[in-house]
Order: sequence, then structure tokens, then C-alpha cells
Amino acid sequence: MRTVTLQDYKRRVLRVLVHIQQHLDEVLALDHLAGLACFSPYHFHRIFKGMVGETLKEHIRRLRLERAATQLKLTRRQVTYIALDAGYQSHEAFTRSFRALFGRSPSAYRSAKRNPPWPEAASGVHFAAGKPAANFIAAQPRNKPMEVKIKPMPPLRVAFMRHLGPYSTVGAVWDRFLPVLGKEGVLGGDSMLLGICHDDPEATPPEKLRYDACVTVEESFVPDGEIGVQIIAGGEYAMTTHFGPYDKLGETYSQLLGQWLPRSGRELRAAPCFEVYLNDPEGTAPEDLLTDIYAPLA
Amino acid sequence: MKTLEKIDLYKLHKEEYAAARKPALVELPPASYLAISGQGAPGGESFTASIGALYGMAFTIKMRRKFAGQRDYAVCKLEAQWWSDSAACFTELPKDQWQWKLLIRTPEFITRADLDEAAAALRKRGKGAGVERVQWETLTEGTCVQALHVGPYDREGETVALMQAFARERQLQFHGRHHEIYLSDPRRVPAEKLKTILRQPVRAAGG
Repeated sequence: MRTVTLQDYKRRVLRVLVHIQQHLDEVLALDHLAGLACFSPYHFHRIFKGMVGETLKEHIRRLRLERAATQLKLTRRQVTYIALDAGYQSHEAFTRSFRALFGRSPSAYRSAKRNPPWPEAASGVHFAAGKPAANFIAAQPRNKPMEVKIKPMPPLRVAFMRHLGPYSTVGAVWDRFLPVLGKEGVLGGDSMLLGICHDDPEATPPEKLRYDACVTVEESFVPDGEIGVQIIAGGEYAMTTHFGPYDKLGETYSQLLGQWLPRSGRELRAAPCFEVYLNDPEGTAPEDLLTDIYAPLA
Repeated sequence: MKTLEKIDLYKLHKEEYAAARKPALVELPPASYLAISGQGAPGGESFTASIGALYGMAFTIKMRRKFAGQRDYAVCKLEAQWWSDSAACFTELPKDQWQWKLLIRTPEFITRADLDEAAAALRKRGKGAGVERVQWETLTEGTCVQALHVGPYDREGETVALMQAFARERQLQFHGRHHEIYLSDPRRVPAEKLKTILRQPVRAAGG
């Protein structure tokens, strides 16, 4: 069996980059783009962020604004229409985004004597009318390579409570969940505390983001009320440890899936990643927190 | 209703946990702990199982109280007392003869009943191994020499020597069990940067 290479990953992501450039006027849905690249929607946004260096949403927004910049320079079209083409309902919102990217207003950009430079992009991909990218620079692993272990895992039976809302507020569900389990003695022995993020925060409205707070339980545990039971599938996982605050977990996910994975010769299974919390955030300084991230391998 | 702020015993007793590399004297009022005793090398089977039993109890007690709407608190870091029954120098003894008492400080309002109920809950889940050995106790250490040891655990002798010299200069002698408070997580912090508070009760020399 041929192993999947970095070139394969690059080719698949490039397919998405080209599609984006050719369809800037359309709704670019995550599921559809993931399908083009044959990635599971569970993982695509993290692979994309890790390889391209910006999120899918940021990338699409930048390309649309770069196209707008080209129109400002090469046409006499009214700014309001250019703004509409770029997906902005108001002149003000367009001007704000444009200024954030180009450092000047659309009209100042239009009247500049020399062509202002493109905004920086690690991938090297920019808008070019009729000439979509033929290549891109995949993000390189940092100077210190990431330590990743391939771990065979047994199926894990977990009790869980679901949180709907921004990932930054999942502490609230743990606050309700742990006392209910703890009073029953579930937190003793070698119980593990896990989290599963089901959705891409880029593609899902914050109030609809699903997160499961999980604790491993024995066969005898019976689901009750808000507390359900699910099985996390066993099999091989790529595991790395995230050092530091929970709000920086996304960076380690991106490194694992966008930098390590494309060079690993492996592919991911269509199942969510999970994270295992190794300390008690109440008694641990945020910079001292340890979290193991598990990505399911095909 | 405004909920009471979560209790953080380290903040509450800041002066008891202040430590610099240079030894200093601290005065310690009685303090409550969950405790489990044993013998053997740190990291050995009995040691690791005891840590599991101690933490299982600490979190079960905390969560039972929290569920009941009683005042919440953060579970404290691990501490330990080390000693031996032998007259020989502690560090020269084989590690399987080391005696220890693992400790987690708890608020004073924890009762014997809290321990019994937590142990019963854990046993019901088949997680009761060792929980009956977890005790609730008060340590009264009084006057202590305290210093911050930075580095691997097996080089604590160097800091203990400084503490001994410090005590001698003040006509004090070591009395009672060596006590340490683990500030760093050895899974994260490299050995040479591990921070541990060393605490040694003392009394007037010749007393």
C-alpha cells in the first residue's frame, strides 16, 4: 500500500485553494470544501489552518478583499459595488475590513501612485484574476519538532454532559458535571477527564458549538437525565501533549493536523479528536496545564 | 444570590507558603490535611497507589460538598512528610525503607463524616482500594525552618544542609519530620527547575 505523502496533502489542499479562487462569488461551505479535498469535515479546518497558516474563513475573506483591491486599481467601479462583490452589505464594514488588511482605506488605495503591496500571507497565495494558485507554501514545523506518539487505544466508555456554546465557556458544564459524578465516587481510581469538540468554531455559530465533557466510567454506570454515555472508538491515535492554557489548544491542534500529519504518511479517521486533561485547572496555573490531544488515525 | 468566592488555601495562608532559596523561620498554626502513610521508594507501586487513593478521596469529598451547595474550595497541591525509624542518615538508607505520609491540605470544615461518605461512594464504584487508609488529621508544626529547593528531588540534601546551618546559627535543632510541598509538576518541569518548599520543624538546641 502506498503511503500518503506531504505532496498528496498539498495537492488536496491546493484543490481547495483553486476552487476558492474560482468561486469567490459563491457560498463556500466547509463540508463541500472538505469533500473536494477528501478530508473528513471533522478535521479539515484544522488541517487547512495548520498547512495554509490562516483559517479557511480568513483565507476566503483575504482573497475577496484582494480581488476588491484589484478592482479598485483596474476599474472605475463604485466602491459600494466592489464592497457588495466582496460580500459586504455596507460601505462601512467593507472599509473597516479593507483597512485592517491593507492599512489604508479603499479610496486611498485606489488613488495611490504606486501599487501598494499585497498583505502578508505565509502560504504565498494571492488573488490573481484568471490565474488561480498553482502551488502554495505549506507551513513548516517549528524549529523544535513536535513530539507525537502513535498510541493504540482501547474503546473508552465515558459519561458525558453536552455543552452548547462558545468553547471558551465549557468550564461551566464541568462545574455542573463533576459534582454530580464526584458525589457518586466516579472520580476515584484511574478515571480520565476528556473533552470532545465536535464542531469547527469557524464554520459554526458560537451558540451551536457542541462540546462533550467526558469522564471514563465502568460498565455499571447508568446514564441519567442530562448525563449520557458514549463509547469513544478504540484504535490507533496520534497523541501529542499541549503545554499551557486551554485557550491555546487550537494552535497545537493546527500543528498536529497541519504540520505533523501531512509528513507522517498517515490519514485521519472520520471521527472527532479528543483531549485528555491531566491536571486540575482549579489548583494549577494556566501556563502549567497539561493536555494530551488524540487524533484518530485511519 | 451572590455565591461565596471559592476558597484558595494558598492565598488564605500566603505567609505559610512564602519561601526563598535562603532559609527563613516561619511560625505555623495547626493545619488540617488528608493523609495517607506508607513505606517504600517514591514512584514505587505502593507510593503511586496511595497518591491515587488520596486524590480520589480529595476530589470526591470536594465534589460531594459542592453538589450539596456547600462552600467550594480548590484541591491543594501534594505535600509529604519523610522519615525513617533507623538512626542512619535518611538519604543513605535504601529507598524501600523510606517512610512517608502523603498530604493534601484541606479546609478546617471537612469532617470525619465527609471522609466516611466519600470512601463509601468510592467503594460502591469499585474504586475503594486504599481509601480506608486515608485519614483526616491536624499537623501542629509550630516553628519551622523553611526554604525553597530548586532542582531534582535527589539533590534536596544541599538545601537541607543550608537549613541545618541556618538553624545552628540560631541555636535551633531539627525536631520532627521533614516536610515538603511540591510546587512543580515533574511531568512538565525539567528536573533542574523543579520547585519544592522544604519545611523542617525546629526547637531550641539542647532542649
